[in-house]
Amino acid sequence: MSVKVLNPNAEVLNKSAALHMNINAAKGLQDVLKTNLGPKGTIKMLVGGAGDIKLTKDGNTLLKEMQIQNPTAIMIARTAVAQDDASGDGTTSTVLFIGELMKQSERCIDEGMHPRVLVDGFEIAKRATLQFLEKFKTPVVMGDEPDQEILKMVARTTLRTKLYESLADQLTDIVANAVLCIRKPEEAIDLFMVEIMHMRHKFDVDTRLVEGLVLDHGSRHPDMKRRAENCYIMTCNVSLEYEKSEVNAGFFYSNAEQREAMVVAERRSVDERVQKIIDLKNKVCSGSDKNFVVINQKGIDPPSLDLLAREGIIALRRAKRRNMERLVLACGGEAVNSVDDLTPECLGWAGLVYEHVLGEEKYTFVENVKNPHSCTILIKGPNDHTIAQIKDAVRDGLRAVKNTIEDEAVILGAGAFEVAARQYLINDVKKTVKGRAQLGVEAFANALLVIPKTLAENSGLDTQDVIIALTGEHDEGNIVGLNQHTGEPIDPQMEGIFDNYAVKRQIVNSGPVIASQLLLVDEVIRAGRNMRKPT
Amino acid sequence: MREIVTIQVGNYANFIGSHFWNFQDELLGLAEIPESDQVFKNHSLDMDVLYRTGETQQGLLTYTPRMVSVNFQGSLGSVSSRGSLYYQIPAKHLDVMAWKGRVTTHASEPLKRNLFLQSLNEEEQESVSKANDLDNLNNNSQAEIQDKDIVECLESDVQYWTDFSKVHYHPQSLYELSGLWTDIQDFDNYGLGKEAFCGHQHGEEIDDRLRFFIEECDHIQGIQCVVDDSGGFSGVSAMFLESIADEYPNVPVLLYNARNPSLHMDSKGRKQVISRNLHDAVSFSRLSELCKLIIPVGLPSLSGSRASQYLCIKDEKPYHSSAVYASAMHSFSLPFRMKQPGPSAESICTSGALDMYGMVKMLTGQMRQNMVAILDVAMPTPSLSVDRAQQSFLGNLQPLIPDIAEDVEDFHAVEAMNIHGAVTSGNRRASISEVKDAVEAAYDNSVTQRPKFSHLSASTCPLPIPLPFPLIFGNMVGQHGELLETPISGSPSRGSLEVHSIPMATRLRSSTAVLPFLESKLGNLRRFGIERGALGAPLLQSWGFGKDEVEDMGEVLSKMVTTLKPHLEYSSDSD
Repeated sequence: MSVKVLNPNAEVLNKSAALHMNINAAKGLQDVLKTNLGPKGTIKMLVGGAGDIKLTKDGNTLLKEMQIQNPTAIMIARTAVAQDDASGDGTTSTVLFIGELMKQSERCIDEGMHPRVLVDGFEIAKRATLQFLEKFKTPVVMGDEPDQEILKMVARTTLRTKLYESLADQLTDIVANAVLCIRKPEEAIDLFMVEIMHMRHKFDVDTRLVEGLVLDHGSRHPDMKRRAENCYIMTCNVSLEYEKSEVNAGFFYSNAEQREAMVVAERRSVDERVQKIIDLKNKVCSGSDKNFVVINQKGIDPPSLDLLAREGIIALRRAKRRNMERLVLACGGEAVNSVDDLTPECLGWAGLVYEHVLGEEKYTFVENVKNPHSCTILIKGPNDHTIAQIKDAVRDGLRAVKNTIEDEAVILGAGAFEVAARQYLINDVKKTVKGRAQLGVEAFANALLVIPKTLAENSGLDTQDVIIALTGEHDEGNIVGLNQHTGEPIDPQMEGIFDNYAVKRQIVNSGPVIASQLLLVDEVIRAGRNMRKPT
Repeated sequence: MREIVTIQVGNYANFIGSHFWNFQDELLGLAEIPESDQVFKNHSLDMDVLYRTGETQQGLLTYTPRMVSVNFQGSLGSVSSRGSLYYQIPAKHLDVMAWKGRVTTHASEPLKRNLFLQSLNEEEQESVSKANDLDNLNNNSQAEIQDKDIVECLESDVQYWTDFSKVHYHPQSLYELSGLWTDIQDFDNYGLGKEAFCGHQHGEEIDDRLRFFIEECDHIQGIQCVVDDSGGFSGVSAMFLESIADEYPNVPVLLYNARNPSLHMDSKGRKQVISRNLHDAVSFSRLSELCKLIIPVGLPSLSGSRASQYLCIKDEKPYHSSAVYASAMHSFSLPFRMKQPGPSAESICTSGALDMYGMVKMLTGQMRQNMVAILDVAMPTPSLSVDRAQQSFLGNLQPLIPDIAEDVEDFHAVEAMNIHGAVTSGNRRASISEVKDAVEAAYDNSVTQRPKFSHLSASTCPLPIPLPFPLIFGNMVGQHGELLETPISGSPSRGSLEVHSIPMATRLRSSTAVLPFLESKLGNLRRFGIERGALGAPLLQSWGFGKDEVEDMGEVLSKMVTTLKPHLEYSSDSD
């Protein structure tokens, strides 16, 4: 073998060993994530070497925290994480599905089947399943006024797998309202317009939706007001600090006076910019009880802050770039890049602006805005790991609502789709396939059952009983899912358990692709490290 | 006050940073202890330039570095990424609030703290509980033994940069890149780094951390970055710098890109050499585009170089070599935080204060926009007394990068020299004016040509050697860093127990002497990357560079070279 000749240290695993290495890696990863799935899953507490604690039930977070060494496992993990990036959920399901496909394949291959034939079967089954998914999905008409109920049901289904019920239900409303707030007709939903801010303060149930914006900094001047009502909001990206000219600007001076003069001129131009803002303030606020708030993306130095404070203006500097966009969407007006030609039209409006201080951390709330198109989910919790856990859940919830609006469809949850698809493949598709590829279709169909099986297992139910009960109902034409408390079949529609169409589609799509790639590997060559030794 | 924000990206950069902050912490500590030397008490350095004051939720005041560090997940060893100032590490069995179902705990083996960290921890406990005097006395005698053990323990085993760090960091400071799923050895190219920065919203989070520190600054003077010059972290740094350039266009960025000498030791095979050389060229070109002044450091063999003639360094230990680079960094950045008493008054402790903008402006000059500075260091600086000066005081300043031409004629050379804590005849601390005179004399007597412009800054405060400093001083170095006539017998290497402070001199040079360094980078890029059928072309592709990008990088490098090359038309034009 030429590679061996080139690199005597390279290690070669032959066909069956390579296959088994891949299968074992997939199964190993599956075992780790299995217990996460569903509302009855187990939360994992990860304690780091330095005593750091992370709590997670999210497959995506868990994978990122894991130190994965095995190349096959890394490949699966990357697919699963890409799944999350693309559709916002389904990491655990992807890993389980790939693992199960490998497990089913192992059985067939041990009986002497060629991986190639299996892979052909997978391909047929995948296409059939995707077609079936189109038929199976429950269309949701979005229109101008989306059906809030269905959005909430989807969000609840996701959130309840990540948080305890009453908190999940509380967040359901927050998440659904947040997405509806930023939704604009005829435009894609940009979830970045929902700011997620957290405070290590009070309890998880104090998490709330702020219609407006929460900024993680405050004014830097002792005399500025900490609370103001009826505020004009000026969003700008204008430097209000004295800066020396660009280093390579090629600006010369030949003596000290010239230098002094330049410094003075620079300072004066900053003051002039500040004065223009003050002029605008006087124009719109004079003689009324209205206030004026400047939120700047660039810096504001102490002399400028002083000038503004004297006029009763609240000024914040170095706002996040994204907050510039959010502010405009929340308060109205427009972000200005220069103080020339300022008009009252570029100002936004907020009913209330106030500051909240926790130790050295300051938060500025911009609330009571008219027609907000941007909002903030303010997560509270007594410690960081609780906050992180809620944050993960909120992200997933937001994605689920967004997907629903964009898909204009949902899928019945609680394992209903998987069982239905499996029955379809076994009862209808398999017959149309000729030859041994049938076995591939069958393996694929059985692999789908990993979702209801794991749900049952995590609920402490007998998986055999559950699967028999579910398939039986399906064969009679009833579409049912699994009741996690009793193990009885239930109608997911009645219970309001819905999954995202996009997520399911992605899982069905990517799972077999990776599994096929891994199955067709017939040799693993790696230089440097010994693969057989446990690392 | 003009604030500086420090950025450390990469493992080796954090080693340097750790030493750097240890020096600062030592300075802060020495200023408070009544029995310490007068030079440490009024050093006239404004520590607020580098540090921020804060307050925990419990109302305790804190003083922490204004710093953002980026590194691998798990590179912090036994230290929590959130530090211990603001958070107590919670008890093992805490209640899971947001989940009512089952909980499984996956605890990794708690990493054992080494002797040094244990002693730090104990000290803190003591100062909190204020044990009675008698106990303290007893402890003192114990402590002496312990110090020795600590130094030995650090010498034999430093794995993480936190192992020898005595500084408390702000919870926003330490950022770990999670979910990379590669070993540190495999995280070895620009492309991987770029991906890592963009993936999982790491970039956004890092930018946010930086913004946290910059928002607090009333008037930021600049950002100093220490970055790994090699491996994936050059990609991470480049992406980070790009977003800084975007967000804070008028803030000067000073880049200190460092190279671990142990990396040079394991280059085997032609393929690896090509890959290394190509990567060097690529990362240098990318990084230099994104800052105002770049100071490359990293000798292939620090131990064998003339820069370490009084030191004994083991190249394979990043703990050793990073100490030298950190000392140099501390030294040349001193002018940034010297207190200015006023335009006319001269302080007796410092002179030659210069802010980052001034430094950058001076070195990158208007005549020639050369942004690469050579860092020379004399560690420790020999006595300034006359007989020494004749024997070339300047000759002791040795560059910290390879491929530097010696004795070049450069009529446009500009340099910024900083000397602090220098000693003169009779091992007496030299006053500021004595330092100035000595430098003047050294230039007069020197055979090499004098630079066109030279800025001198000086301070009486030497470099304090903190306890966790490695044993790298040779047996010619005395307690205050003076060079002895006769070597001390006994152990060949001396550390913080024997040497308490050293005088330092550093010099940043903008000179044509850097040409061979730049030309070798350019040559490598052309030979392996740009030429038709170049061996490294597929490699560049795998790092995610298109052909155009590579040519752009070649352009950047060749521009750097041509600004320095004295060519004829230019001089005739200017006449």
